[in-house]
Amino acid sequence: MKTIYLDNAATTRVAPEVLEAMLPFFGDQYGNPSSFHNFGSSQKEAIEMARGQIARLLGAKTEEVYFTSGGTESDNQALRGAVKIDPTRRGIVTSAVEHPAVLETAKVLEKEGCTLGIASVNTEGELDLDSLKGLVNQQTALVSVMAANNETGVIMPMYEAAEIAHDEGALFHTDAVQMVGKSPVDVHAMNIDMLSLSAHKIHGPKGVGAIYIRRGVILPPLITGGHQERGVRSGTYNSPGIIGLGKAAELAHTHLKDTVAAERRLREDFEKRVLENCPGSFVVAANAASRLPGTVTIIFRGIESEAVLTLLDMQGIYASSGSACSTGSKDPSHVLYAMGVDYTLANSALRFSLSRYTTEEEISRTVEVLASVVERLRRISPYTQ
Amino acid sequence: MDHFMNPRNVGKLENPDGHSEVGSPQCGDAMFLDIDIDDEGKISDIAFKTFGCAGAIASASALTELAKGLPVEEALGIRNSQIADYLGGMPPEKFHCSVMGHQALKAAVENFREKCAEIEKILRDAGITPVLVRPGRVYLSHGADVAAAEKALKEISGRNISIEVK
Repeated sequence: MKTIYLDNAATTRVAPEVLEAMLPFFGDQYGNPSSFHNFGSSQKEAIEMARGQIARLLGAKTEEVYFTSGGTESDNQALRGAVKIDPTRRGIVTSAVEHPAVLETAKVLEKEGCTLGIASVNTEGELDLDSLKGLVNQQTALVSVMAANNETGVIMPMYEAAEIAHDEGALFHTDAVQMVGKSPVDVHAMNIDMLSLSAHKIHGPKGVGAIYIRRGVILPPLITGGHQERGVRSGTYNSPGIIGLGKAAELAHTHLKDTVAAERRLREDFEKRVLENCPGSFVVAANAASRLPGTVTIIFRGIESEAVLTLLDMQGIYASSGSACSTGSKDPSHVLYAMGVDYTLANSALRFSLSRYTTEEEISRTVEVLASVVERLRRISPYTQ
Repeated sequence: MDHFMNPRNVGKLENPDGHSEVGSPQCGDAMFLDIDIDDEGKISDIAFKTFGCAGAIASASALTELAKGLPVEEALGIRNSQIADYLGGMPPEKFHCSVMGHQALKAAVENFREKCAEIEKILRDAGITPVLVRPGRVYLSHGADVAAAEKALKEISGRNISIEVK
């Protein structure tokens, strides 16, 4: 049975070119880049090349990119660092639909004495800029708004959000884990002070990511130690991971235009055919002004998402839902909740996320299987006739 | 797995003796259950519909299979371990999935008993002592005032209750 992987917002396959680029650093080239001797220090060049590859993808300067262990660490660095810069500015303002890496961190900081403001979104999952504006003031250290939402794919108005932050003298951070490599990003043009990204969302390896910090912004480090990354992020360089991230960023940059066009075409085709073939289905945030090319959440009225996932799984098709039943209590997606989607519908939501490797054939097969799965479960459901 | 792919006893019963709607989609699950009870007090027919995960669907299917033909009290006593055995094993973290089935069965039995009690009270208030009461039929002893019973039972609207003399 052929695997059809439509959960690329969760993680992606490592590109063969990335794996190839990484392999030497798991093998012969095991030196420590920070060593004095040439065996180790010769890796510096490769690491700086990776930094440059990421900078080009972001429109940043090379020295504005720092390597981390991934998106979650980058988010933690941004939030925990920002509230320590100025004792008179201890406020964080973020959105209701952030990834837990931001939202949970912000809540922890609130318990530690910071103030927290959570801006709302509209029914299309778009940031309410008036709500954001009402929460930002002279005590705000940081405004953190994700670039694109991981469930709905809705792209947030970053430039406007950054302007609101800057008008009050606050910094602006964006969790761009879902956006980078999927849609163009230009940190300088978008007025972004800090940006988080992750390698494994762009066909790179897991356990490595980066944070862009605008030149001139001095963030107290989250992780202290041996002064790697100019003291911003200590810890021995994860050479294979960093090289892999660099290569993944380069590939993402090269493929960006094609990827956007191809994924968008496939996703739109998928949406259209699902709506045609699955009664009771509708697309979440269908009317949002701007969405990622390859991510869509679809609600199948009257049927439970985990049952659908199980049946798809048995056919080798992998997607995801916002909730997990194994814990005994289900919390429907906070993103859909923030958008005002009712609980029943939130429990009927499935996310499909494409990649540049997704084919038309895979989309056709998925629609076909989905239609029969939905039909089968609707027969069992108390909510359908 | 088979009970998830091909759940048994899915659907609704026509004028069921007991009906329940439990859980709520807010917690992620819901179940509708219908039962019919025969003259001996056994579950003669059972049907369910559910909004739930694979575990909920399979355990509801197993519960209905196990309960069918059992006296009501015994059916209420079916344990999770029996459901797990019937399904050929179930991981412990999925045990909670079957809770809703038990609740639905219990609620359907309560609904059945309430309906019976209502009919019995009406008949007794009319001075009639029934032999056996079911939500859809009433047995009276020879010599009972059938016409009075028919008149009294008209109070219950929406249901057709047949009267037989034994």
